[in-house]
Amino acid sequence: MKCEHCNVNDATFLYEENINGNKRSLRLCADCAAKLQAGKLFGDGIEALSIPSFAKMQENFLDGLFGFSPKHPSASTQKACPGCGASWAELLQKGKAFCPTCYTTFGEELQPTVRSLHGNVTHVGRAPAGRRAQKEKRDRLATLKTELAKAISEEKFEDAAKLRDEIRTLEKE
Amino acid sequence: MAWYQVKGNDSDVVFSSRIRFARNLTGYRFERGLSTEDANAIVEKIEKALGGEYVKTDMTVLSATKAASLVEQHLISRDFAAKNGPHALFRNDNKSLSVMALEEDHIRLQCILPGLALRDAFQFACECDDRLDEALDIAYDETLGYLTHCPTNLGTGMRASVMLFLPALKQARMIPSLSHQISKIGLTMRGLYGEGSEPSGCLYQISNQVTLGSSEEDILHKLEETVQSIMEKERTLRSSVTGEAALRRADRIHRAEGTLRYATMLSSEEFFSLYTDLKLGIALGEIDSITDETLNTLLINVLPATLTENAGTAPKNGAERDLERAAFVKKALGGSCLKNE
Repeated sequence: MKCEHCNVNDATFLYEENINGNKRSLRLCADCAAKLQAGKLFGDGIEALSIPSFAKMQENFLDGLFGFSPKHPSASTQKACPGCGASWAELLQKGKAFCPTCYTTFGEELQPTVRSLHGNVTHVGRAPAGRRAQKEKRDRLATLKTELAKAISEEKFEDAAKLRDEIRTLEKE
Repeated sequence: MAWYQVKGNDSDVVFSSRIRFARNLTGYRFERGLSTEDANAIVEKIEKALGGEYVKTDMTVLSATKAASLVEQHLISRDFAAKNGPHALFRNDNKSLSVMALEEDHIRLQCILPGLALRDAFQFACECDDRLDEALDIAYDETLGYLTHCPTNLGTGMRASVMLFLPALKQARMIPSLSHQISKIGLTMRGLYGEGSEPSGCLYQISNQVTLGSSEEDILHKLEETVQSIMEKERTLRSSVTGEAALRRADRIHRAEGTLRYATMLSSEEFFSLYTDLKLGIALGEIDSITDETLNTLLINVLPATLTENAGTAPKNGAERDLERAAFVKKALGGSCLKNE
């Protein structure tokens, strides 16, 4: 059977559609199936979760990652990392940190790059066992503060008072 | 028995699931500028932290062929196989859990399992991570999470990936569209051996791109949802082939089976092509005399370095290796690996 779209190639795909009860089917060749379905087949679900694309950023990795963001500070920063002696200029050149302490030393300078790469600068998730309780407390506080802001904006003042007390208790621990 | 010799869930579409953590020790430089003395100290610390249950491979004394075979088995990265200076691999008996000491990061821990098993792989990786964490001072920052050599791994330091077998989507020329669309949700698509590798045998690896600001749970959930969606599309396309096209596909599958069983010489490229047809045949029920896990085991065992290693002889030239590969495949498919024997 020939493709019902181009009438040239053999049909190898059956395309079926049901929109609000309106059904239709097409027997298509690979070329036409690709053309017709490429946009639709993956359009549901995945598209709805749209967040910024990072694919393009990957292409620039070898060019010096810390220089990626146009907002990165200039190489004139004079300080050196106490962990390894590296300067900001060296980090810019290599595109990678030299030791874990580099991230503390050059935290401010690195922030635009980290934000560009991840769209975020705050870690959420696992922590080493010794710091897990501390991290859970911080995450809980962040959640409570968000809920407090929401309660105030919605004028739910009783809820807000309870949340404020919980935040105070947690901060004292 | 290695992980790839076991049948996994949704194995008609999913080859394997992998979790990888990047971790570093405080008080040491990253790979660049690390002294030999410090490098040896790190390897020793990791070995001690892991205890005696892991098989250690000192990479500095390993032959190039053995190292390449470890890459083919997905146990180490190409960079790790090629690097100089002290570095070691620690792995469990079935090769599902491994730790690369001194890859780009001081620790690259991975758990790889057959089929769709992201949650199990994550659980096993976490158990090993906790063990390392108890004994070592891991570099971690409240805001940036786990501190890594490359800022692309900051945060969770986790790459979760799933290797998918997508012959129908490839034939329908939908892979570029799929690749483009998953990049919009912070996922990326690569070939069989990760970054920089070309897809072979219609196998594609999908993994998370972003590691900071999303929890491990969020990353796993997003990957699972995406994989479910892709599996559905792949299966729909496979079942939509009808009429003469279905007959031609069945013919191609059985010809592939015949060639693999009886060929005298087989190149890697030809094997990959035939593997694709035969694996699809198993998934469609066209082939019932060969199991999926037999074929997956072959996929690793017939690659150049592993083939040479298993043959127990010095590295051969292309033609001799093609003869060896054909003989190996013939034996595996024609003998003890047949179902119900």
